[in-house]
Amino acid sequence: MKLFEHHQVRSVTQAIRLLERYGGRAKLNAGGTDLLGLLKADVLPEYPEAVIDIKPIRNLKKIKLEKGLLKIGALVKLADLAESSLMRSQYPILAEAALRIGSPQLRNVATIGGNLCQDVRCWYYRYPCHIGGPILCLRKGGNTCPAVRGDHRYHAIMGGKGCMAVCPSDLATALSVYDAQVVISGPDGERNVLIMDFYYPLGYALQKNEMVKEVFLPPIPQSSKQKFIKFTLRKPIDFALVSVACLLGFKGDEVADARIALGAISPSPIRAYGAEKRLIGSPINETIVHEVAEIALRDTKPLSGNGYKVNIAKTLIKRVLADLRFNQKVDR
Amino acid sequence: MDETFRHIGKKKARVDALDIVTGKAKFLNDLKFPEMLHGAVLRSPHPHALIKDMDKTEAESLPGVRAVLTWKDVPDWRGGTPRYTRILDQKVRYVGDAVALIAAEDEEIAREATKRIRVEYEILPGVFDMDEAQKPDAPQLYEQFPGNVVTPGMPFFGPKSLREVVMGNVEKGFQDAEVISEGIFGYENIPNPIPLESPGAIALWEEPNHLTLWVSNQASYMDKITLFHVTNRTVNVRIIGGPCGGSFGSKFMSWQIQCYAALLSRATGKPLKLVLTKEEHLATFTLRPASRIHAKVGMKKDGTLTAIQGEWWIDTGYYSMTTQAQVAVGCGELQIMAQCSNWDLRTKIICTNRNASGIVRGFGGQELKCAFIPLLSLAMEKAEIDPLEFLKKNFVQPGGGYFWRDGIWYDYRGIDYRKVMEEGAERFGWREKWKGWLKPTAVNGPKRRGVGVGIHGNADIGEDASEAYVRLYPDATATIHSCVTEHGTGQITNYIRMVAEVLKIPMEWVSLTPADSMMTPYEFGPAGSRGTYAIGAAVIAAAEDAKKTLLELFAKKMSLQPQDLDTEDGFVFVKARPDKRLSWKAMSVDRTITGYGRFEPDYSLTNCMISFVEVEVDTETGKLILLRVVNATDVGRIIDPPGLENQLNGCLGSGGIDSAIFEEMVLDRKRGYLLNANLIDYKWRSFLELPVIKNVVLETPMPTHRFQAVGVGEIATSPGPSAILMAVSNAIGRWVHHYPLTPERILMALRGEEAQG
Repeated sequence: MKLFEHHQVRSVTQAIRLLERYGGRAKLNAGGTDLLGLLKADVLPEYPEAVIDIKPIRNLKKIKLEKGLLKIGALVKLADLAESSLMRSQYPILAEAALRIGSPQLRNVATIGGNLCQDVRCWYYRYPCHIGGPILCLRKGGNTCPAVRGDHRYHAIMGGKGCMAVCPSDLATALSVYDAQVVISGPDGERNVLIMDFYYPLGYALQKNEMVKEVFLPPIPQSSKQKFIKFTLRKPIDFALVSVACLLGFKGDEVADARIALGAISPSPIRAYGAEKRLIGSPINETIVHEVAEIALRDTKPLSGNGYKVNIAKTLIKRVLADLRFNQKVDR
Repeated sequence: MDETFRHIGKKKARVDALDIVTGKAKFLNDLKFPEMLHGAVLRSPHPHALIKDMDKTEAESLPGVRAVLTWKDVPDWRGGTPRYTRILDQKVRYVGDAVALIAAEDEEIAREATKRIRVEYEILPGVFDMDEAQKPDAPQLYEQFPGNVVTPGMPFFGPKSLREVVMGNVEKGFQDAEVISEGIFGYENIPNPIPLESPGAIALWEEPNHLTLWVSNQASYMDKITLFHVTNRTVNVRIIGGPCGGSFGSKFMSWQIQCYAALLSRATGKPLKLVLTKEEHLATFTLRPASRIHAKVGMKKDGTLTAIQGEWWIDTGYYSMTTQAQVAVGCGELQIMAQCSNWDLRTKIICTNRNASGIVRGFGGQELKCAFIPLLSLAMEKAEIDPLEFLKKNFVQPGGGYFWRDGIWYDYRGIDYRKVMEEGAERFGWREKWKGWLKPTAVNGPKRRGVGVGIHGNADIGEDASEAYVRLYPDATATIHSCVTEHGTGQITNYIRMVAEVLKIPMEWVSLTPADSMMTPYEFGPAGSRGTYAIGAAVIAAAEDAKKTLLELFAKKMSLQPQDLDTEDGFVFVKARPDKRLSWKAMSVDRTITGYGRFEPDYSLTNCMISFVEVEVDTETGKLILLRVVNATDVGRIIDPPGLENQLNGCLGSGGIDSAIFEEMVLDRKRGYLLNANLIDYKWRSFLELPVIKNVVLETPMPTHRFQAVGVGEIATSPGPSAILMAVSNAIGRWVHHYPLTPERILMALRGEEAQG
């Protein structure tokens, strides 16, 4: 690791001031589970001059309900999300997504803000500098995405605009079904961005001088059924190959509210609005489930070597729906 | 022979256990010396290129940098078999090949300096596949290897070093066959053994030609011999070995890292430490060889093999140091599991522009058999024979034999292993689970279960020589002088255990010297599953020799004959009158007694392990789960119960069973990058995801040494991978032949498409 200046801040204002001072050449550090690895392997296109430790900021560590809005501070740890009884009862998708990330050691330090802002896992982008890297790519001043003609088994099957790296954050997938908003603080105050709009083809909605302050979730429909499934090669540790989050509300046998989000298949989490629309007003049966899975993956354009992710995504959607239908009947 | 033991077969804590769990054990990277410098390596971004020009002035002028060495600055030290691979060369042959070496006051400065060296390359086309490499217009890695085919034969194994198996009459064998199968099969996913501790070395050069190396390797004495040859017999090498944080074969040899450290110490006059980062470890340290066969087998309906014919190709990456040895041992190991009268199996080693292959446990045999057993399975299906019956029929039995690595035929003088195969099958419930070829054991909606079985045996349990001294002191302690280091299996404790058993003293009274090649005699090291038999035999012989001298000395003092005496707990006593005894103190403080033991190679015995696996396949996602493993082996006698269990449970990782499930190095076959050189993308099973493993261990006395043991050694990983392929094929009702079985490959097989790679 190279030398860098290290600052600790106690408020969002101090953090923003420092970000401004370094003009984009500083990195915020919360849990450090992603950043330290990036620094050690010298992955970032520009090595930061400073690391700003935001852990001492006190008021970003709480989960609270305010006027029906659930607010989660950027420094809330994944372990707390996974264990919170409020999350488990009201927002089980988020709790389950948090629980399926990394390992206990990682969840004890990693934060929700860090999870949303973590860097992509593309192995061309992350190829270590000291073994003949870096590999030029669109994120590193190159003109093409090397994954397109290379080994892209884990890359995007839809929505890639040049860069085919997928959004690695399971929490982003989970938050998508809740229509969560990310509260961004900057020199000019705060602004809110819908989670699905937070990810850009080559980065985030964050400007150089901004940071994620908190995430808020609007109220969810009463008695909705929720489920999150993550497909990985290894059970622990791994990033999702495909993940699906689904929230359904029922009126009798019919679906009254449907939200389906797909993760790890695109540079940002995907809400399958077409599929949701098809579900609303219908009972869940085998025909519908099949149709919904087809609609959800209709716009995919897999690369030559990752079409299998389409199969997996369809299967996960079918399973999540079947599971929620089953639960719904049991509940009645 | 005395059957009641004080130490053998008893559960005892390892002598290094407390130091390891409390962090007191000093591994290589914990060592620090005054004025010690740190090394780093500038590595090539191209898989194949000529260095046209280099400018290192900026790097040299960076404060804290002490030396920058390029191919022009170093002597013509060479490794490889034959020795054609220069330590630094004008040509680079893989992404990650060493271009320059830097010595600096700390690691960060050394790494920074690597970025300040300007290199001008003439980029050459690279070749990443064995077929491509042999084409007439293929890029040539070495002028000495036309067609990229490496010179066969391992000089260390003698002039007849095994490079093919040719005997009998294959034409007649195929005429006699009732079923024949034929095809191309591979095991080409180059899994990485990844011991936890990254490879490294600390070097101190003293003019004119003395080199001391601190290492954490599997075979400390062999490092001395390897480097002596690499340096054209010009350097006098002393090796000091310390605890080794895992090896799985790979750290048997790290001549390049040792040479880098040596050259940098030579250039600076200071001790220098060079330790690979984990990424360098994964991408630039040796991998398992890639293996591909074009072969044909003939079989009778009862499973009798009538002919084996074909070519075995091995992709060794950009050079070979030991691949010829793996070919020799692999050819031997296939014969052990597939006894057949008619053979025509040829081999070819090919180099390509990727990181080199080297030693990994399973050494050749696993590589060959993982490709060969799928071919045998096709024939077994045609013959409608249960694979368990096939394995029982064809594994070497008394009366059988094989050509071993030295090209010499050995009549097998060991035990009949069919008993343990049968016991393993019973524990697993094989006969209830086996429903026939391509038939699932159970179907539950989209989830299908299947079973498979594999076997491995290795006659290297008695390979190579070992020497040891055992020194007795008047205070009734004993010290073993051996250049063996602890590489994770607990064998150091077992040598102490064996010596304590021979001398009938508490284990606490026995110690082992540091593995310093200046103080200890020759030791090949714990490799090839030889730790229990070969090293054990040398240590036992040294203890017996010391005891003999002790009794002779005391016989004089007691005016008796040595055969009248024995020793226990530091007293020599009269066998007929045990109360008549004399303390070892009587040897007097001005005396020690040294015994010498040597083991001479013996290739007439093998070990054997059979593994049964049950898997579940999700036919809608392609997900493969390993549910259950039963390993069965006969070890002669259990020396160290928990150590043995650990060894057997090691069947999963380091390129074992999991090399059929998710372990692989992903090579970008257009540009030569190893893409997953990190522990997220290299899929290594964690403790949170262990299948149920049951081990069946029998103790049939073996004609080895005093304790009649053979251990299990390195072979725990070898039977599993092909068993997984068999189990998945049975579960899904279609043949799968590629390692590892990713969801993509399983889904393709289910669609009836041929997988690539």
